[in-house]
Amino acid sequence: MAGAEFGLDQYRRRQRLWDAVESRYVVHLVLFAAVFFAISPLVWQLLTSFKTQQGVLALTYLPLDPTLAAYERALIDRGFWRAVVNSVIIASASTAIVMVLGTPAGYVFSRFRFPFDNAVFVFVLFTRLFPPIGLVTPYYRIMTTTGLLNTKTGIVIANVYLWLPLVIYIMRNFFITIPQSLDEAARVDGCTKIQAFWHVVFPVVLPGFAAGTILTFLYSWREFLFAFTVSTDLTSMTIPVATFLFVGDAGIDWAAMAAASIVSVIPSALVVVFFQRYIVVGMTGGLKG
Amino acid sequence: MATEEYEGEVGPHGGGLTGAVSDWVNDHIRTVLLGPSLVALFVVFIYPAVMLLWLSLQNTRGFGETFEPAYNYGRIFTDPTFWNAVEKTLIYSFGSLFVSVSAGLVIALALNKLLNQRLRDAYSTLILISWAVPLSIVGVTWQWMFDGQLGVVNQVLVDLGILETGYSWLSNSVSAMVVVILADSWSRIPFATIVLLAGLQSIPQDMYDAAKTDGATTWQTFRHVTLPYLRPSFFVAGLITWMFAFRAFAIPYSTTGGGPGGATETLAIYIHRFGIQLLDYGFASAVSVFLVAVTLVVATAYVYFILEQMEEIEV
Repeated sequence: MAGAEFGLDQYRRRQRLWDAVESRYVVHLVLFAAVFFAISPLVWQLLTSFKTQQGVLALTYLPLDPTLAAYERALIDRGFWRAVVNSVIIASASTAIVMVLGTPAGYVFSRFRFPFDNAVFVFVLFTRLFPPIGLVTPYYRIMTTTGLLNTKTGIVIANVYLWLPLVIYIMRNFFITIPQSLDEAARVDGCTKIQAFWHVVFPVVLPGFAAGTILTFLYSWREFLFAFTVSTDLTSMTIPVATFLFVGDAGIDWAAMAAASIVSVIPSALVVVFFQRYIVVGMTGGLKG
Repeated sequence: MATEEYEGEVGPHGGGLTGAVSDWVNDHIRTVLLGPSLVALFVVFIYPAVMLLWLSLQNTRGFGETFEPAYNYGRIFTDPTFWNAVEKTLIYSFGSLFVSVSAGLVIALALNKLLNQRLRDAYSTLILISWAVPLSIVGVTWQWMFDGQLGVVNQVLVDLGILETGYSWLSNSVSAMVVVILADSWSRIPFATIVLLAGLQSIPQDMYDAAKTDGATTWQTFRHVTLPYLRPSFFVAGLITWMFAFRAFAIPYSTTGGGPGGATETLAIYIHRFGIQLLDYGFASAVSVFLVAVTLVVATAYVYFILEQMEEIEV
């Protein structure tokens, strides 16, 4: 028994199993399984949203006589369309405020030294790590006393708290990747500091800005905890909260609930499909130190 | 500009009001750019956070508020449902951490094997979609899929002959916990996948070539090249997944409402129950302070630990 040959033999035997594990078939099998797990709940929602109420009770997989009645019940009879309008307004307003405030702040953290700069930055990170559930009770109190309960403004304020630190952090990380010599060149050419920021550095960081905008919009769109706490009626309610209300009913209208879910998932799904790269950049860009 | 007439001191940006404003902005650039954010954070974060501490010292049971610093904190440790919530939160957060990160690793390894960029993008888009679904909708969807009578899971299991009749998943405390952990992982796997995939892609190809030259088996390469390089990504994906699952509210609340009988009542639901439903602000605030403290201590310790580890890895 030659030692070297035995080693090679053993190596081949062990490797054969791993060659199989690594084969194209296994890779695709894993990915198919992952995709099935990821999208089957959504496919099920979609199928159900086209069913009649009898169809839901009959436990068929496919809608036998497809109808849009569930969408009509959800959007019009239940007034769900108002939640759609609210969501668009609230998510847009929150995103605009957070990006306008957070982008210059991120720039400052990437460029300037000032007293307690590290402490201030750690404070921003701390705000981000702070569990939002902790502030729900004070927010509820404040909203009650200031009359902001059941208003869109109240939810926008909560969104500013939730996403501003995130955006400051993400934007800082994008600005850091741009060499400071760019600002200096602009200054030499006669720009003021704010012109250097706005006309020279900001255009370069636009992809990062887009990533921040898309992430903030999606996060505001799907936010539940504060929207649920601050709003209890359809004048200010967002989609995630309004959909949840269907569950409170005695006999749940599953088809209508599925229709409402589909309405709320479509915009975010489209954003994911078209801006996948930006979301990945935003997710991982928010992580790098 | 040059033809302007002016008197007295003039800054580098010319005279007049515009020049003066421009000078002021230039000299106070940090205040101008950072100030608004800090003011906003003061209003939306510091003020409520101070109020949280203040409320936690108030006895708000019954009518009015009285200042009794020890009252709520004393109650925390004597309320039996509090320890139940702590236990459920730990099971929930570590369950979700385990499922999300291990599934994320397997999917990331598979995606990394795909050489076709388009195919890889198509798969990642489909996997990412679940991340974009609002968490409350994740909850209601899973509640309904596991419904005892009309749930699709029972339907499939019965049709496949695995079950004889539908099983009431959400009325049993163990299976209800399994369902909420799965629902939670469903929405967190994409994040873990993305972070781990980014980590995999940052491993230099030379390392693999060298391992191959040395005759390492796939397992040895994975064990001695991939895993050590991936460690920082594991730390990041793990900490963030755990932290968000530890404070989870939307998914367990909309799937089971904390039931059956408190079997899935996480600390966040517990806080919500006292603060918003029972209007016992003081007690809810004290529990919040506890939750905040635990999260921040763990996160800080972890970050220091990672920083130490990172130095080792980069050598």
